Amino acid sequence: MKRIVEAEKESEQMLEMAKREISEARKDTPNRIASMRQQILLEASEQREKALADAERAGAQEAERIALEAKRQVESLSQIPKDRRRRAVERTIELLLS
Amino acid sequence: MEEYSVSANLDRLVEDIVKENRAKAEEIRREGLTHIEDDFSKARDEANRDADQITRNTKTECNAVVNRRVSQEKQKARLAYLTEKNKVLDDVMREAETKLVEFCRDGTRYRPFLLKSIVRGMEAIPSQKVKVALSEADLRRYRDSKLLEDALAKTQTTKTAVLSDKPIETTGGAVVTSQDGTMRVDCTLEAKLELMKTQLLAEISKMLFAS
Repeated sequence: MKRIVEAEKESEQMLEMAKREISEARKDTPNRIASMRQQILLEASEQREKALADAERAGAQEAERIALEAKRQVESLSQIPKDRRRRAVERTIELLLS
Repeated sequence: MEEYSVSANLDRLVEDIVKENRAKAEEIRREGLTHIEDDFSKARDEANRDADQITRNTKTECNAVVNRRVSQEKQKARLAYLTEKNKVLDDVMREAETKLVEFCRDGTRYRPFLLKSIVRGMEAIPSQKVKVALSEADLRRYRDSKLLEDALAKTQTTKTAVLSDKPIETTGGAVVTSQDGTMRVDCTLEAKLELMKTQLLAEISKMLFAS
């Protein structure tokens, strides 16, 4: 009889221990979740920063290309052949005097 | 023998009790951990959803960053191009104006134009008597010539015309008014230039910039 009581007692302790373990684990869950969430969002945030920096770089490169092309176009305006320019002047006069 | 059997049964009973409760303890642990893992898994899914949203927003932000930069540069480039283009157009217009001044000094070439301007003004004024105003240089040059007679002859009307003593500020051409001054037709080069400016600029642009 004594052995049965002891076995019951031991069992009770085992159950209590299991409950305690789970209770401890539960208590720690919010911290684990917060830490995991923070980690995931931190990674996303780091990727965002990197992507934005890449976008800035890509935008700057494209802007530089546009600026170069614009410069080329502006320069081409000052290289209009004199003959074409003379004909434009003549046409203007012709229209005005008509 | 019987004593041995009771003892063995007792051992088994104790063992069963411990085994059963160990299983219960394991079940408690398993269930508890499952709940905890479920909660953790739900929280992870939610965090991943939030991270995905950040990623989606980032794509939009990145597109906006590139578009803003490109759009600013395009605008700047367009402005620079238009400024330079206007400069070229202005130069051509100025050159044309200079040539027109030279043209007006050349009496042989200028007289037919002036005559045409006066005729146009005379025809536009519906009154019988008209007054023709010229620049100071033209007044000096044509005062005693048959300019008005030639103009009237071209209109083929019975109108009469007199030269105004008051000179007008113009490179060339004439201003024709009715005798009472209520009607006025500006046939000067400046007026024509102003009137035709849009057409002229379009024509020059077509000739200079069309590829």
